[in-house]
Amino acid sequence: MGINTLVEPAAGTSAATVLPHTKRGIALGAIGLLIAMVTVVANFSAASALEAGDGVAAGKTLAWSFGLTTLAFGTAKVGIAVILVGILIRIWFRLDAVKATMPGLASGASDSYRVGSTLTTEYGAVSVTKEAPAELPIHKMARTMWAPMLAMGVMALLAGTVTAFSWSSNVGVDAVAATQSAMWTQGLQFLGEAFLLSGISFLLGSILGQLRRGGGEVQLQLGLPVVTLKMPATAKTFVVLMMLGLMAGIAQFVMYVVGTTITDPTQIAVAGAWLGPLRELSLGLLLSGIVLALATIANVLGFQFNRLNGIVAGA
Amino acid sequence: MTTTLATSFDLQQSTTQPTLILPQKLGNKLWAPMFAMSLMGFIVGFGIHLAKAAAVSDGAAAAEIAQLAHFGTAAMFVGFVSVFSGVTFAIARILGVFRVGGGAMQLATKHKALSLNMPPTGKAFIGLMAMGMMLIVGGIIGHLVVAGQVGGSMTIEAAELLAIKLEAARRLGVSFYLLSIGLGLATITEVLRFQSLRIRELAS
Repeated sequence: MGINTLVEPAAGTSAATVLPHTKRGIALGAIGLLIAMVTVVANFSAASALEAGDGVAAGKTLAWSFGLTTLAFGTAKVGIAVILVGILIRIWFRLDAVKATMPGLASGASDSYRVGSTLTTEYGAVSVTKEAPAELPIHKMARTMWAPMLAMGVMALLAGTVTAFSWSSNVGVDAVAATQSAMWTQGLQFLGEAFLLSGISFLLGSILGQLRRGGGEVQLQLGLPVVTLKMPATAKTFVVLMMLGLMAGIAQFVMYVVGTTITDPTQIAVAGAWLGPLRELSLGLLLSGIVLALATIANVLGFQFNRLNGIVAGA
Repeated sequence: MTTTLATSFDLQQSTTQPTLILPQKLGNKLWAPMFAMSLMGFIVGFGIHLAKAAAVSDGAAAAEIAQLAHFGTAAMFVGFVSVFSGVTFAIARILGVFRVGGGAMQLATKHKALSLNMPPTGKAFIGLMAMGMMLIVGGIIGHLVVAGQVGGSMTIEAAELLAIKLEAARRLGVSFYLLSIGLGLATITEVLRFQSLRIRELAS
């Protein structure tokens, strides 16, 4: 089964079918929230242990609690990805409906757009072509990469969760092994989170690609000039932020792996002081890119509604 | 088909152009400032943490290191609360585009404008987002209070204990936000399902 079949309607489904993706996605998000609640209790329990002077018990609890927290966030992100897959299928149905009905709704009035021109609209610069626009490399990449990114993310996240329990069991027993497990846990889990957010970004890129392709197909079918939004600044910045975030996520993992070879406690403390924030910065950059991707989708949808209304009204 | 729509969805109908509802208006206005604030929070937070790393390396006083750690975490989470808000506002903006664009299209085809009343997922989306925001903002305020007092009226040990508790609050806040984002996207799915069916109706 190819990756693309996952984002196309299954046999026997129609636009009216309630797809399972939404329920599954929300269920995963709710499971994530429940796991996070367990870790909240764990943190308060660790604080009580520390207050009572039992630093080892507190350290053990905080270690596995860290692993479970990141697992909770990752589970919710997988849920978001599942819902996005459902949205891709829904966009397919929407396109199918628009293609089926627009020939009967179009006013048939001559279009004001001239092939070969470039115009600026309230939604941004557009190009007017005779043929549907070719798929952009970034859209092709998004269509290919979302699933491997999600799969790698889940694997890294689970591996990190296992090492979190190893970290916990070594606290107060073997300081070196505990430190090494801690480094592996943080590096692996945040690499996993970065992959998951990249997978989500690629799914959003796939949505943008599908909107672009669908818009071209509808206009071509009606025999009209194909008006397409040029890639806006928000989309370009989205790609840059996503790449930066992913690179930071990989870099922090490499540095944590290097960190497992350090034995000097001061050096370990210094590394921990900036590697933690680096991994957070990585996720922050990826999330900032996602904001821009969503804003771009809103803009593209606004443009497409405007174009469709123009075709219907003959503007 | 009308029966299908009426029985499958909670609808409102209008002969005039549907306008944005309040969360969608907020989404339109606030996604960009939230995006800008998130980048500032991440950069400032990372900078403060680099200063903390330098302080650790130089063997600075524990109170100074704790202070920088709390300030750095507060700034970093200004970034996170802003970016999660930016995501939720951008989702609200998309929902607004569907509402206004879908309404305009129906009116252009000489039909009444049918639009969805806010589904339960939409309501839960807003509620969980608000809860997530309150928890994280509460955590940020807590970190700033601790940073202001540690080394003075607050011991290092007390600051450490509070850091563990504040971390718990932040975690819960992030989880609420993530579930809220999932619910917002689920609302988009429902709107797409409705519009796919409604478009076919317009041709009749």
